[in-house]
Amino acid sequence: MVKHFNMGFKAVLPIISGIVPFGAVMGSAFAEAKLSFWQAFFMNTAVYAGAAQLATVDLMSQNAAVLVVLATGLIINLRFLLYSAAMSPLTHDSSPLIKFLCAFTLTDQSYATMTANQNKFNTNTEAVNFYLGTAACMILTWDVSVYAGYIFGNFAPVSWSLDFAVPLSFVALLVPSLKSKKYIAVAVVSSLLSLLLYGLPLKTGLMATALLSIGFAWILIRRKSDQR
Amino acid sequence: MINDNYFLLNVVLLAVGTLIIRGSFIALSGKMKNSEKLRELFSYIPAAVLPAFIFPATFFHRGIVESIYGKERVLILIASGVVFYFIRSTLLIISFGLILLYVVTQL
Repeated sequence: MVKHFNMGFKAVLPIISGIVPFGAVMGSAFAEAKLSFWQAFFMNTAVYAGAAQLATVDLMSQNAAVLVVLATGLIINLRFLLYSAAMSPLTHDSSPLIKFLCAFTLTDQSYATMTANQNKFNTNTEAVNFYLGTAACMILTWDVSVYAGYIFGNFAPVSWSLDFAVPLSFVALLVPSLKSKKYIAVAVVSSLLSLLLYGLPLKTGLMATALLSIGFAWILIRRKSDQR
Repeated sequence: MINDNYFLLNVVLLAVGTLIIRGSFIALSGKMKNSEKLRELFSYIPAAVLPAFIFPATFFHRGIVESIYGKERVLILIASGVVFYFIRSTLLIISFGLILLYVVTQL
């Protein structure tokens, strides 16, 4: 167990530079919204979803209706439904506690890091242990950077453009998943759709792009099986 | 200042809703069988979702109105992707992209 957990933990280390600036922005957003440290701690621990937290803290500081806050946060988090579906074959034999931990810690980076390394696992247990290692590293990095951002503000100089580390780290997670021309085609369709649908309200462009791209992947899979 | 009860209600509902979204399929994983086609479809999720983070964050990082400024990031992103394809080092690709962007924008 420890071996794959450690492998997962180490696999996230290179993308930390993409997580720290985002965490610092989150922490400074908590401070700007005049949340107490314990309020920030509670939200950060209970929700643990950066993009949704950022959007909903902004809405709460404007006293938006509860339904608006909730809808915004949950729509942004809907993509986790896809990750949850993709994780489900791996957690088939896991205990309820492990399933809970896998669900609670599900993030873009942890999920993508695990799929980028899936050729390293022989069993589902190894994959789950690796995933939990990535999740542990993510939580540690995220929490430290959020609380540093809360206390010290957004500490990175603007000229370093550290926000650009986020898309760069996602490129490093994307490339290994492009295993054939079909995967590249899906990625190209997703790229174009994401730009076309960027202006949709409540950040629904992300989910719409994901669903349409997966629909396109489904067409490719069906076409392949029809040709057999 | 955000009211305590209002904050607590929002955060609790958001936390429960997010956990239900994250846990839905994982909780049911022992109770349902996934077909081969479905498993194959799941393998497309990174290719379908990650570009939707990467491209808007790069293309519209100065907002949707700015159409020319900041587009050097798109070129640097593509160059970084090509370099990563051959080198396969995450740390190196992030350093390469950030240093190249710093050189292009500051010098």
